[in-house]
Amino acid sequence: MNALELDGLGKRYGSKWALRDCTLEVPAGTVTALVGPNGAGKTTLLQLAVGLTRPSAGSVGVLGLSPQRDARELLPRVGFVAQEHPLHRGFTIAEMLRLGRELNPRWDDALARERIERLELARGQRVGKLSGGQQAQVALTLALAKRPELLLLDEPVASLDPLARREFLTMLMEAVSEGGITVVLSSHILADLERVCDHLVILSHAQTQLAGPIDDVVASHRVLTAPRTDPATVARVHQVIRESHTERQTTLLVRANGHVYDACWEIHPVDLEEIVLAYLGYAPAPLLREAVAG
Amino acid sequence: MIEFHLESRSGVPTYLQLVQQVRQAVRLGILSPGDQLPTVKEVVSSLAINPNTVLRAYRELDLEGVVDGRRGVGTFVREQPPPLSADAVKRLRAELTRWAAEARAAGLDADAMAALFGDVVRTPAARRVA
Amino acid sequence: MIWVGWRQQRTETLLAAALLAALAALLIPTGLNMASAYDHGGLASCVGHTDGGGACGAAVDAFVQRFRKLGDLLDWVTLVPGIIGILLAAPFVVALEQRTHRLDWTQSITRRRWVAGKLGLAIVTALVAAVALTLLITWWRAPFVRFQGRMDNSIYDDEGTVVAAYALFALGLGLAVGAAWRRTVPALFVAFAGYFAARLFVDTWLRQRLVSPLTTTWQTKAGGHVLDRAWVLSVNPVDAQGHPLHLAECPAGAGPCEVKAPAVSHFQAVYHPASHFWALQARETALFGIVAITLIAFAAVWTLRRD
Repeated sequence: MNALELDGLGKRYGSKWALRDCTLEVPAGTVTALVGPNGAGKTTLLQLAVGLTRPSAGSVGVLGLSPQRDARELLPRVGFVAQEHPLHRGFTIAEMLRLGRELNPRWDDALARERIERLELARGQRVGKLSGGQQAQVALTLALAKRPELLLLDEPVASLDPLARREFLTMLMEAVSEGGITVVLSSHILADLERVCDHLVILSHAQTQLAGPIDDVVASHRVLTAPRTDPATVARVHQVIRESHTERQTTLLVRANGHVYDACWEIHPVDLEEIVLAYLGYAPAPLLREAVAG
Repeated sequence: MIEFHLESRSGVPTYLQLVQQVRQAVRLGILSPGDQLPTVKEVVSSLAINPNTVLRAYRELDLEGVVDGRRGVGTFVREQPPPLSADAVKRLRAELTRWAAEARAAGLDADAMAALFGDVVRTPAARRVA
Repeated sequence: MIWVGWRQQRTETLLAAALLAALAALLIPTGLNMASAYDHGGLASCVGHTDGGGACGAAVDAFVQRFRKLGDLLDWVTLVPGIIGILLAAPFVVALEQRTHRLDWTQSITRRRWVAGKLGLAIVTALVAAVALTLLITWWRAPFVRFQGRMDNSIYDDEGTVVAAYALFALGLGLAVGAAWRRTVPALFVAFAGYFAARLFVDTWLRQRLVSPLTTTWQTKAGGHVLDRAWVLSVNPVDAQGHPLHLAECPAGAGPCEVKAPAVSHFQAVYHPASHFWALQARETALFGIVAITLIAFAAVWTLRRD
């Protein structure tokens, strides 16, 4: 079953499309990275999935249900941590947990208390006085103690120092290892995503550029180098994502359709970061290029 | 007990690093037959990696015969088979040399050969038998 | 949701309670004082008999003089329902401003329940506070009211059902402005200014027109006791037929002249008698109440529909 299904999903603010014609599937049980430049539509996508906003076009299916029509049934099963991880600043940690208990039927109070203890946070402390990392952890605790089947995180570690980031991801991965949860998180920090995620979605220019398991993505992309030449022969068989030429040399980043048997090219493996960057600079179709330019 | 570490920039996939570290530990005697590998949760807690990665590494080690994964109990190091006899190594090397010559005649360069070989080697045991 | 809503308005509720407590601390001792002065002075028997002067007239005058200052101080009490209403609108607006409503909306309750819970709680709290305030002030003023009635603007404002309507109206304004303009401090300032302007308008212009006033004419010698404890809108001298008298005026620039004052035989007054009290209250309450409900509904719908 797919935890998340987007079909031609679009959201428009005024005349500007924040997300357009987005179609993808997130299989259940995966940890999916949502990558893209600012303004690419990552936040919009996550907000549409949790029902904080309504689609302008297309549809979104969450655990087989509609966030708009089936909100009452769906909300207890979906957890969400927004980018600024808003918390009621005047509340103490104990009161935040009580809020979770009051507003969520599936609340696991033991889990929440155990995590707060592990974070070595005092329950009587005001949330507003915590550091950014601690607030993020509290927000995550709130989302996890709800026992969701799908957890959506919008740039949860963007403002955290490396140690806080590591602790956050550790807590997240421990929750995943307990099973029964699908995670979608958007982030800029590719190194983190590579350790933690097994699926990748690249969003750019409000559209999906690439979606699939990370291992497949890394295995199927190659950098090809050769003395300056026309990439046409390669382009017939494989998808050229990025090409660059100097006077003497041509470099291509391709999505290979099988092995590259053309002997004149030197083949190099390529890491995830290079792949992602290539796609973010990628204009997928002449149509889009015109639209962006004009 | 083995403690895993990661080199994120090495270009080697994470699961493979774990596999190699277990093999190395067995070779060096850090892990003896019967020792239990860290649980998935323990590895996840110390490295903050995806549990599926750990599962994959352990599955690979199980397929290779290095460990024995017992459901609900844990993953334990197996008795290791004796090292290959010199004759066996010689025989295998000769066969490989023959194969390499054949491949070169067909037009494959070293990289292509390595890719093809790697592809076949990674196929699951069941398919190999068929 | 009840606990959550209450906790989110805890500070504001305590502030409102503190305000009422301070007022009570000020008024209860003096109120008891006045009540005992009233009883011991035997002033109860003087009610309605102050026209002819004499012992009653003097006693009542003395009483009024003694406690007048406190009475005047209470003129500003009419702002308190406004303060309470605006105060109780704050938690809702703050939640929108700080985006914590998004946190609440991604727990397991629906938006509607959230909005209904918070607004319902604010409304109930505002009403309870307003009723407490009305009871306190009405009790305190009771002796005065027996002598002077309660039709005078500054007293009318604090009695009956209008106080609750004022509080709801202020609440509605705070919620509506805050829901549209999600910045707490400026929104609440604007709302309070709106409350003040509306109250001023109604107090000075609209109230007297809510019910048709009565007119009476009487001869100068006879007493105007029908105007006792009434709200007099205007008093003018008239002639025997009831036509207004005009004082002759000196032609401009013609030097000194003597104006002959006409003999005034009758007076005419336009007034609301004390019996109009509840009719006026009912209409003013309905007016502010309906506007309040509309504003609160707007705030709810706007918040639910946005995004």
